[in-house]
Amino acid sequence: MHRRRFLQLSSIASAALAAPPILRTAFAADDAITIAAPLPMSGAFAANGKYGSMGTSMAVADAGSVLGKKLSYLEIDTEGRPATAVRKIQEAMQQKKVQLFAGGILSSSALAMGAEVNKHQGVFFTTAGADEITGSNCNKSTFRWSVPTYGAINETVRPLIEKMPKAKRWYTITPKYVFGEGLLNAAKDVFKEKGVELVGNSYHSLDEKEFSGYITNAVAAQPDVLLILNFGSQSSATLRQAVNFGLKSKMTILVAWASGLEQFEELGADVSDGIYFGAQYWHGIDSPFNKELVAKVQKEKGINPNYSFAGAYIMAKLLSDGAKKGGSADGSAVIKALEGMEYDGMTGKETIRAADHQVIKNYYLLKGKAKAAMKDKDDYADIISSGQSFLSPEDAKCKMT
Amino acid sequence: MDKPLFHFALAVLVAVLLPFFIRSGTLATEVLIFAIAAAGCNLLLGYTGLLSFGQGIFFGLGSYTLGLMLIHTSLPLLPTLVLAMVVGCVVAIIIGALSIRRQGVYFVMLTLAFAQLFYFLAYTFSDITGGDNGLIGIPRRGIGPLALDSSWSFYGFVAVIFLISFAALQRIATSTFGRTLLAIRYNGQRAQAIGFPIRVFKIAAFAVSGAVTGLAGALHALLIGIAPLSDIDYHMSESLLVMTIIGGTGNLFGSVLGAAFYLIVSDTLSAIWPRWLLLLGALLIVLALYIQKGIWGLIERGVGAVLGRRGGPDAMAPDTAGNERP
Repeated sequence: MHRRRFLQLSSIASAALAAPPILRTAFAADDAITIAAPLPMSGAFAANGKYGSMGTSMAVADAGSVLGKKLSYLEIDTEGRPATAVRKIQEAMQQKKVQLFAGGILSSSALAMGAEVNKHQGVFFTTAGADEITGSNCNKSTFRWSVPTYGAINETVRPLIEKMPKAKRWYTITPKYVFGEGLLNAAKDVFKEKGVELVGNSYHSLDEKEFSGYITNAVAAQPDVLLILNFGSQSSATLRQAVNFGLKSKMTILVAWASGLEQFEELGADVSDGIYFGAQYWHGIDSPFNKELVAKVQKEKGINPNYSFAGAYIMAKLLSDGAKKGGSADGSAVIKALEGMEYDGMTGKETIRAADHQVIKNYYLLKGKAKAAMKDKDDYADIISSGQSFLSPEDAKCKMT
Repeated sequence: MDKPLFHFALAVLVAVLLPFFIRSGTLATEVLIFAIAAAGCNLLLGYTGLLSFGQGIFFGLGSYTLGLMLIHTSLPLLPTLVLAMVVGCVVAIIIGALSIRRQGVYFVMLTLAFAQLFYFLAYTFSDITGGDNGLIGIPRRGIGPLALDSSWSFYGFVAVIFLISFAALQRIATSTFGRTLLAIRYNGQRAQAIGFPIRVFKIAAFAVSGAVTGLAGALHALLIGIAPLSDIDYHMSESLLVMTIIGGTGNLFGSVLGAAFYLIVSDTLSAIWPRWLLLLGALLIVLALYIQKGIWGLIERGVGAVLGRRGGPDAMAPDTAGNERP
């Protein structure tokens, strides 16, 4: 081969690879403390990512500076894929020296990111749902703000049973994977204790979009209550189809794991009216901190904060508070400061349990109201009850690593 | 342009230059890992004319094999990688032997069916694979005194494996075996009439492709410390096919370009615009309509124009990818 041709070709080959660094985001400045938000900004969960990013950036702006250093915000698009999420976490930690992370809406990405952040002794705060996050896969770096499946069931199924002592026959629709099983097992325990009969259960896959077959089965079993244990677009689809089949007049319906305001907006008041929902957060919560946040978000963004927004806001705030309290933005100092921390949060008094890094907070039972009864466009539901139910760290099988 | 040594020199050049152009060691490593997998895919698609959606299976099995071995046993790293190759190879032989019983669309459908089957196996046996959560906590073991903790030391390790794999694949592609694969792609009946046992050749191509893809899958799990369910998803097969086609089929270095282009463009676009997948879609349409020989074909044309002559013989060959002749 001629030398000239070799050089020509190699220059063409390398030119293709040369462009990207020019477009890449700049390194975080040394004199700033960075909070990174690894969120699904593209892909199927991009809508959640968008609100999460708004929440994080607002919390960072509100905090302004910590320990005399400016607090900065780095958005990381996980694309909703664990592999991409981990790769970008590695980049942020090794090249940009980021130690503080708040995000990870999807369980699979969150578990993977938590493990990666733990390798480099950073801090990772998440709202993802899988029990393993503060259970069998718990680790020193990972904190979780949201309530796991045990609390979600105990704060929705239990109060509803107490409210309707005559409703003795329940039917469940469950997604067939670890999260769904977690909800179902917790529900079975409550049923057993309260003498309620589980008259049937329908399992479906994570890819399912058509639920009418399961709903027909549920109708045939003649239950008093239909308990829907899937989440996101699947629970919206299940609910919509159940309402279309006229189940509202035949039985009480409870969606144990709703995503809050986002889901009500998607369903509309005609569907959600009269349905019970379990929720991690609701903008109507009567607590000083929440009222302050809602007023602020309304003023600055013109919207009510939803779960993705509020969760992201409080997580970023806790990280900056942790750095302040620990006197350093170093991962281990922040972890130590966060363990056992008590604070006034959006759901009232919240505590970060040291043994498994689970935030002890309220879970809410909501009831959808009729369109005519709504005071404003987001007033979809009333809070029926709230409370804190958590497995002990031992029962959750957390062995801190 | 068709000399194997020249292509290998280009591969070396990519491995050496990537760190200068990509700041992220992990992204650079991912490029080389997917380059290995895309080259494996190319052996089937570009050389043998088999459009297989089974590549994700071998990739995923490689990831799980490495993950399970490193988590549950104290086996050193290199034997684990070899084991991942063996698993990829064996499963590829089985799937290959069953799938090549049918041709054209039915072959593609069979590989798709296998892809779904293995995805749901991984999803169902969550006690072993971690199911939807993925297999978490895979340690990155070093090799003897050599630690692979930092992203650039791991890059170096992967670069060596990439070059060995590339050289081996190239050796295979330029051997009589590789030439026969090309003959099968261009005219299977004639190859059979000459006396080549084309079934055996196709299964052998599957075996090599499975082993190489399994190796890439194992390295991927080692890179990210988990074996996610998405590694065995049929979207993985799709991505590998897209990389191969973008790069240019029938040329192993094209796969390196395809993987680099796909990953770097995805990474750049996703940082700019959340709806970047739209742009990627548009780009693929342009490629499919106007640049069927992929980036490598484009380079060949460009170089041909500069030097005042046409590209290599493969540029003239009809594009029969995915269309096995009856």
